[in-house]
Amino acid sequence: MSEPVVNLTDVTRTFARSRSILDSVLRRQVAQVTAVDGISLEVHPGEVLALVGESGCGKTTTANLVMGLLPPTRGVVEVEGTDLASLDREELRQSRRRIQMVFQDPYESLNPRMTVQDIVSEPLRVHAATRDRGHERERVVEALEYSGLRPAERYLGMRPHELSGGMRQRVVIAAALVLEPAVLIADEPVSMLDVSIRAEVLNLLARLAHEKSIAVLMITHDLSTVAAYADRVAVMYLGRVVEMGPTLDVLRAPRHPYTRALLSVVPVPHPSRRRERIILTGETPDPSRIPTGCRFHPRCPVVEDRCLTNDPGLVTVGEHHQAACLLLNPA
Amino acid sequence: MSWYRRLWDHRLGRVGVLMLGFSLLVALAAPLLAPTDPYASVRVSIDDIYAPPDGARLLGTDDAGKDVLSSLIYGARVSLLVGFSAAAIALLIGGTVGLVAGYRGGRLGNGLMRITDFFLVVPDLALQIVIVAIIGQSLRNIILVIGALGWTTTARLVRSQTLTIRERKFVERARAVGAGDLTILMRHVLPQVLPLMLANTVLVISLAILSESTLAFIGLGDPTKISWGQMLNFAFSRGAVSAGAWWALIPPGLAIVWVVLGTTLVGNALEDMFNPRVGRHHLEPERHLRTRTDSPRPSAPDIALAIRHLVVTFEGDHGPLTAVEDVSFEVAKGESVGLVGESGCGKTTTMLAALRLLPPGGAIPSGEVEFDGLDLATLPEDRLRQARWTRLAMVFQGAMNALNPVRSVGDQIGEAIRTHFPERTKAEAMRRARELLELVGIGADRATEFPHQFSGGMRQRAMIALALACDPEVIVADEPTTALDVMIQAQVMDLLVDIRQQLGMAMVLITHDLAVVAESCDRVVVMYGGRVAEQGTVEEVYSHPAHPYTRLLLEAIPDMEQPGRSLISIPGSPPRLDELPPGCRFAPRCPEAMARCHRETPPMTVLGRRREASCFLLEEPARV
Repeated sequence: MSEPVVNLTDVTRTFARSRSILDSVLRRQVAQVTAVDGISLEVHPGEVLALVGESGCGKTTTANLVMGLLPPTRGVVEVEGTDLASLDREELRQSRRRIQMVFQDPYESLNPRMTVQDIVSEPLRVHAATRDRGHERERVVEALEYSGLRPAERYLGMRPHELSGGMRQRVVIAAALVLEPAVLIADEPVSMLDVSIRAEVLNLLARLAHEKSIAVLMITHDLSTVAAYADRVAVMYLGRVVEMGPTLDVLRAPRHPYTRALLSVVPVPHPSRRRERIILTGETPDPSRIPTGCRFHPRCPVVEDRCLTNDPGLVTVGEHHQAACLLLNPA
Repeated sequence: MSWYRRLWDHRLGRVGVLMLGFSLLVALAAPLLAPTDPYASVRVSIDDIYAPPDGARLLGTDDAGKDVLSSLIYGARVSLLVGFSAAAIALLIGGTVGLVAGYRGGRLGNGLMRITDFFLVVPDLALQIVIVAIIGQSLRNIILVIGALGWTTTARLVRSQTLTIRERKFVERARAVGAGDLTILMRHVLPQVLPLMLANTVLVISLAILSESTLAFIGLGDPTKISWGQMLNFAFSRGAVSAGAWWALIPPGLAIVWVVLGTTLVGNALEDMFNPRVGRHHLEPERHLRTRTDSPRPSAPDIALAIRHLVVTFEGDHGPLTAVEDVSFEVAKGESVGLVGESGCGKTTTMLAALRLLPPGGAIPSGEVEFDGLDLATLPEDRLRQARWTRLAMVFQGAMNALNPVRSVGDQIGEAIRTHFPERTKAEAMRRARELLELVGIGADRATEFPHQFSGGMRQRAMIALALACDPEVIVADEPTTALDVMIQAQVMDLLVDIRQQLGMAMVLITHDLAVVAESCDRVVVMYGGRVAEQGTVEEVYSHPAHPYTRLLLEAIPDMEQPGRSLISIPGSPPRLDELPPGCRFAPRCPEAMARCHRETPPMTVLGRRREASCFLLEEPARV
């Protein structure tokens, strides 16, 4: 396989919970929140990796680490072979050119006063990618048409309120791709869109990766729709990757009980085919109080005694398929 | 609509524009309009002093024997010059301070705001007097002083606007693209703040004019310039009152009032137009309520709620827009019905209309909503209130943010109970609140906690408890699980299904996800473009979809039992209310559309008991 574009090696990121006045009066220790706890990930050019998990699992922090918006507490974040920690402020800003982002809410993430042309050409101007206005327009048109807004001339003068949600998300994608980035991070790219048009947008993102050799990192809580369009899936729980592997392998034969539970609650679109669902009780625990042993044990339906004390690491369970569960090792 | 057009349409705004426009014209054309040049020195006789108005001198003369009308006309120049220049200075200082303080925040922002607060509380006039007295009474100095002291309101306004805009997603996106602070300020923040900033500046103009008049009146005006304040000053100090020369006093006073009133009207109108706070509110009383004297047609005894031929319109720029057209369906007692469709298909509007919770501008021109022998669509508000919430409750989309943050959750549920059943004691209501919290899986012991101590899923459960507070017969849930995690979604949906069965309630579930309906509903109503496309039991609709739209919707949802299957998207977008296609609303996106589908509206074809669909394909015998 080719060299990875994004390479996270044993990355940890902790946050200090903000200290209240009461805390400082009582000289109470400020809680440390470990949002990302020693994860290693690679994303290759032309590949879509879905980072799946519930809120508070650390997936958004991971994205911010890749964007260089946050420095890691420990570990190394490399993008195109460069350690982001070695860059200064200006170099980091320059690196944004290679890492673009698609946001969740296409209704909010477009400036309502700007036209489609202004929005898509903004990255070009910000990075002074081209001084030639004709060339700029050409690249904008190309990006729009690639994103499925054809003929682009019809959309150039429109403002966001004239577009439907799906079209807006295409504009956001066009603006992200106009600079020809190496990495594209899509944070819940379709969760605000109607079910009926999600497939198109996801297809576009997958096509982008495969045709333009962009490394696409999709962040989502939705295993059923979004992850199905990825080449690989990494399931996160409380700051750790608990299962990672080729999409179909993970969806057809999940090995971690958490992945199994997540898959079981995806509604089946037919009333006669009801199946058993594993509904986990409670919610993801507070990341400032990570349980001992396997961090999933308090909610795990198949928990054993050893899970309370032993913290499992990722073990290989198939080709490129890994999971972190003690039950995968015989006792 | 362009802003000047809107300003012109604003009644008081137009008056202000005309008043201010007139003053500006007078000021510009002063040399042409004024009968004499008040700056020219003329020889005067004793008779010329305080001469009363006559044919030659329409407003008489002043203490120096000069024509009052000419001075008045030339005075407009000074007043307006001071007003506009000082406001421009204020705009520059206030705008910069506000933008920087709002955008940067932190220590710099706080420091700037403390300075602003200082200038805001210091009495302007006192400071102006002191400064002008020190630096000298020239027109330039007066403009500088008024401008340099008049920027505080602008700064505060711009800062608060900038603070909100800074947090908007499109600013975050620009930052992620790699835009620097200056680019973001100039391209994203400033254009958003500008309209309100200008509206505020117009108000600053009127204040500046007033300030200049005050300074001139107390003798601190530029002695070489004629201004209205100056005219008043001279008239008062040089015996106009004792001479009975009203013509030297009243015209300059009225001129000041005229200009200040004009600018204030324009400024207020602009603020009305641009300030999002000032708008129509949900609590505004309903209009267009039809009155009806007869009772609605009774339904079969097992029906809890029947919607019949419901039409809902909204006020548009060019006449009413139809959001819901001829929608009919029934909800049986204890039954759960999924109302499904893409955004904008009218599913939420239908149920809001049924509960008469339409936003301002919405109306129900025809159709009925039968509930226990009453027509909710025409029921007077006071009688409606008895039924709403106690017998028909609604869980809104994103409702978890609708809890009052400063009151405990138990308290809020207890209060809802007591509002509808005032005869219950506080203790009784609280006991019931604890029961309800237990029922929705939160636990009675958390009744005294506040909303911020709850997670999103917990808050949604609390909202469900709130909806259940009065044992409703029908509960309407609008996308109750959007914005929640998958596992929490499953928990909340399970809870709703359980409780509904336990309490024997009927439920209408509004959603865009057919898979959720398959798991939790008995019947399904598919809506498209404000009409019902198809309805029937879940089994019928999912196994034998009769409408092409339903078929496509089913193919768009993922199925974890076939993870490799590729999903389809329905090409195009749902129609906008202001450009509804003729004929079948779905025809432009339908892969099976025929020529007549684009012209005629397909009738509702009955396919069985409470099973119908609206499509021409059903009329072709081969297809049924």
